[in-house]
Amino acid sequence: MDFTESLQMAVKTLTANKLRSSLTMLGIIIGNASVIAMVGIGEGAQKYINEQLQTLGPNVLFIVPGNRQTRELGGLEIPRTLVVADADAIQAQVPTVVGVAPEFSSRDLIVFRNRSANASVVGTNEQFLTVRSFEMAQGRFLSKLDLDRHSQVAVLGATLAERLFDQTPPIGQSIRIRGASFEIVGIMARKGSNLGLDYDDAVILPITTQASRLVGQRQSPYGIEVAFISVSAESRESMSRAEFQITNLLRLRHNIRDEDDFFIQSQDTLLNIAGTITGALTVMLAAIAGISLLVGGIGIMNIMLVSVRERTQEIGLRKAIGASQQDILAQFLIEAIILSIAGGIVGTGLGISGILVISTLTPFEAGVSMGAIAIAVGVSGGIGLFFGVFPARQAAKLDPIVALRTA
Amino acid sequence: MTPLIQFQQVSKVYGMGNTEVHALWQVDLTISRGEYCAIMGPSGSGKSTAMNVIGCLDRPTSGSYYFDGENVAALDDTALTHIRNRKIGFVFQQFHLLPQLTALENVMLPMVYAGVPAAERRDRATRALQQVGLGDRIVNKPTQLSGGQQQRVAIARAIVNCPLLILADEPTGALDSHTTQEVLTIFEELHQSGITVVMVTHEPEVAKHTQRIVWFRDGQVIEPHLNPKDIGALTAPA
Ligand SMILES: Nc1ncnc2c1ncn2[C@@H]1O[C@H](COP(=O)(O)OP(=O)(O)O)[C@@H](O)[C@H]1O
Ligand SMILES: [Mg+2]
Repeated sequence: MDFTESLQMAVKTLTANKLRSSLTMLGIIIGNASVIAMVGIGEGAQKYINEQLQTLGPNVLFIVPGNRQTRELGGLEIPRTLVVADADAIQAQVPTVVGVAPEFSSRDLIVFRNRSANASVVGTNEQFLTVRSFEMAQGRFLSKLDLDRHSQVAVLGATLAERLFDQTPPIGQSIRIRGASFEIVGIMARKGSNLGLDYDDAVILPITTQASRLVGQRQSPYGIEVAFISVSAESRESMSRAEFQITNLLRLRHNIRDEDDFFIQSQDTLLNIAGTITGALTVMLAAIAGISLLVGGIGIMNIMLVSVRERTQEIGLRKAIGASQQDILAQFLIEAIILSIAGGIVGTGLGISGILVISTLTPFEAGVSMGAIAIAVGVSGGIGLFFGVFPARQAAKLDPIVALRTA
Repeated sequence: MTPLIQFQQVSKVYGMGNTEVHALWQVDLTISRGEYCAIMGPSGSGKSTAMNVIGCLDRPTSGSYYFDGENVAALDDTALTHIRNRKIGFVFQQFHLLPQLTALENVMLPMVYAGVPAAERRDRATRALQQVGLGDRIVNKPTQLSGGQQQRVAIARAIVNCPLLILADEPTGALDSHTTQEVLTIFEELHQSGITVVMVTHEPEVAKHTQRIVWFRDGQVIEPHLNPKDIGALTAPA
């Protein structure tokens, strides 16, 4: 009995009993739909986070205070071991570095005439714009002079500008923060929030002015404390060299003998960390989905076993008139595989629809992964084969005399 | 020429120890090619067991069985399957047609397992159905056919691979007297065409149509050559 013949026979048998066939497929359908959807969501999340990280700017290193441990412990208080002078030293002494921007931010009430808004107040230097790849929409950014003179000037993010000034052109106007007054000199182009930081809804001040004028910012004996320092390296290739040089410089400046009190992260290390997390997430989702696929396979085995029992007479008859054990084995295996592959295809369709729905409801661009589809359908076939073997062997081993006698 | 069926001291024992049942006990039986014979006997006398052995569905516990000159005990399952497929046609009391297949597809089934090409299969199956008078019913499913028609489909299936032997275990047991007559007419035609026909029956009316009656009791053949015309002997065998 050749293969296409067996195939036709199996299709005939399966379509003759549509209800049972669909119930058998149900488990595989659900399993496959969840594999496709879960992997899609996982990959979507990965893509989303990667895109967010990419907007941080190319060739950028972030120097953050504290060591790996203190950061991982996640205390409320960020250790303040970095100062503006560290940033200046990096600028002056590390050759592979082209720009350095220290940052310190707080949330404060920003007042313009009778309007006010709660927003981030970010203190930084004139290099922030290039290091972090921002652009100006109007006016100018902070200048070196502003920093040296502790000028009371401010640059607004696009969102904050809209919130405070609706008709009035903001440039040249004065805003007040904690009683100090600042003149608006520019407005940055909108960039969108990333990683929870939204510079569009912020006011940017010279970090020197912020330190001297705004109450509440601490100063250490070493100078103005910063939350982190962004550094842009010459090129992608020079990033590891820059990291090494900065580490040496800061160790020297901080008199470090054993444990560093700072930590350098690049966009790459952040991408790696995020990749590890989202990768684990994807694996976990896929595992959950895989389990449902497995349960679907057990469902197939279950119903195939019932089917073998119900069709005992058919099996006996086939063997009596000349079906070999292999013929019967092949017949039931092919039925199981057809059911599971068909279930796999239907489930894949459902999974893809699920992904399309999720994409429209969440910021994730959940992708339909061809790999996941191929694997899911292939695995379904494999599951049909694996869980079909036992019932099919039961069928093949039936004694035709006993089978025919069963009423 | 060797006989088609030859039992030499064939025994079939079911169970072990205290529950041992001798379904057949040291049976010697010879059926020649072209014979038309009935196997009769009380219930539980071993008729079906003998049919299973004759039909190569089962092997004797001891003794030898030669079918078409071959020692069946020495053959493996694959060889037995091959013999059943090519040389024997089965007809059952319960018809055993597959409900999801049409009459034609049911009749084609033995040829599917014999590896006959599809076109030839359709041709031969159609002719077999015509031979049993069902040329106009080939696309019907079994549920759309009467009991007599179903049994005729089953006979068409039994003859489609041109077997040496037709084995029928109570083929008229589920049929009324009219359709019984139709089935017996077909068997008579098959016999005329040279096929050996062996059938189990408990109806003297049916056995009367054969050439020879083999009478079983308690797993043994007690009358190997009863004459069917001798109806009196049927009701009170020795
Ligand atoms: N598979 C079996 N296991 C145990 N005993 C069996 C089996 N098949 C038949 N027998 C016994 O063998 C004897 C003969 O049975 P059988 O050949 O079916 O008789 P008949 O067909 O003449 O009614 C009976 O006593 C029956 O109970
Ligand atoms: Mg019987």
